[in-house]
Amino acid sequence: MTDDTRPKLAPGVKLHTNAKRGTVLLAPERILELDELALSIVAQFDGKKRISEIAAALAKEYDENADVVRADIDSLLKDLAAKGYIKS
Amino acid sequence: MTDLPVPIGLLAELTHRCPLGCPYCSNPIELTRTNAELDTKTWINVLNEAASLGIMHVHLSGGEPLVRPDLAELTNAAHLAGLYTNLITSAVGLTVQRFSELRAAGLDHVQISIQGVDPARADSVAHFKGGTRAKLDAAKRIVEAGMALTINAVMHRNNMDELPAIIGLAENLGAGRLEVAHVQYHGWAIPNRAALMPTREQFLEAEQIVIEARARFEGTLVIDHVMPDYFAERPKACMGGWGRQVIVVTPDGRALPCHAAATLPGMIFDNVRKKPLADIWGHSEAFNRFRGTQWMPKPCNGCERAEIDWGGCRCQALSILGDATATDPACALSPNHARMKELASASATNTYRFRRIGG
Ligand code: SF4
Ligand code: SF4
Repeated sequence: MTDDTRPKLAPGVKLHTNAKRGTVLLAPERILELDELALSIVAQFDGKKRISEIAAALAKEYDENADVVRADIDSLLKDLAAKGYIKS
Repeated sequence: MTDLPVPIGLLAELTHRCPLGCPYCSNPIELTRTNAELDTKTWINVLNEAASLGIMHVHLSGGEPLVRPDLAELTNAAHLAGLYTNLITSAVGLTVQRFSELRAAGLDHVQISIQGVDPARADSVAHFKGGTRAKLDAAKRIVEAGMALTINAVMHRNNMDELPAIIGLAENLGAGRLEVAHVQYHGWAIPNRAALMPTREQFLEAEQIVIEARARFEGTLVIDHVMPDYFAERPKACMGGWGRQVIVVTPDGRALPCHAAATLPGMIFDNVRKKPLADIWGHSEAFNRFRGTQWMPKPCNGCERAEIDWGGCRCQALSILGDATATDPACALSPNHARMKELASASATNTYRFRRIGG
């Protein structure tokens, strides 16, 4: 994964919010519950924003070191990709 | 009584009509006729009620849901209600026109069932000529449109040798997910059990093939393996547990905890025409009958897996032991487990009884 990768959710994968459960990631026959930080990261995976931009924006929002956020993004991406939630 | 669980999925059996006639269909032997089917308005109401109950996935299923002319309208209603829409189809009838309607309506995902890769053989199992061709065309269209596709391959004695080719097909089609589903012995599969049951060797080989393929396709193709209960030591949680995750609504509007629950004697099912879904989910006798662990006999009662598999499948206990309240005989702890093993190795016949409306 390079700075310029523009992560995108795989076809059929989307964030879903409902009053009874909050926000989750939905895929065919699967539901993934994510914590708040992971949710705000995934919400940026629109296939347009680059990883570097996402990291910078979230670092600012959470007042965190950009490298720390970047490491979080990379590990989340790797995990989601292995499970088929992200199309690489 | 613990807190009432929030359901996850609605299995909307829109119709029992289907141009195909698979001998392992999970529909009941008594099929519902067209004039008893719920109308569009009632289904839309059910979809909205499902969304407010907290349900996330709606599976538009059948029979063959494409035989309903209002499928796009229902899909759109589900989509507008915020539900994730999954079409479960044979793909026979998924023409260019119908597909673009469904796509515009907000369809999220299509699951196409296949009978195998060899057209002649597969079409004969499904009792329908030209079916395989139509499925492949539809599958290509779905992937080209950027929509998520699952291939569901129903495995049994006579197509187990095609498993590697089926995996290859799913890969070539660009499916995101493959469901290798061994026949479950409910509905039409029960009278056809002896003709469908794989041998133990076949089953073990299939398991090995799936494990290898999973490693090979990590990140590109998700492979789910639905194990046959007959070779298991522990049962599956029925629909994630009775009355815990799923509501099935039949073509004529009965709400069931599982699609085979209608076979259970003495059960009364509420109808969505008469009662709100939330009411049925929370208070109906049928949903409460086997919900939780209170009802459990020994050895489930007190077992550490009681809240994992919830005592297994009620319909299987009934169909094999004649007692819906018994521990699922798929469990090795069941005193009747040997009965299940016997059926798994019972001698093969090679004639099917194909499903037919009006039987
Ligand atoms: S009770 Fe049995 S047949 Fe019914 S859904 Fe559960 S597992 Fe399937
Ligand atoms: S005894 Fe009952 S709860 Fe325990 S593993 Fe077997 S079926 Fe599951």
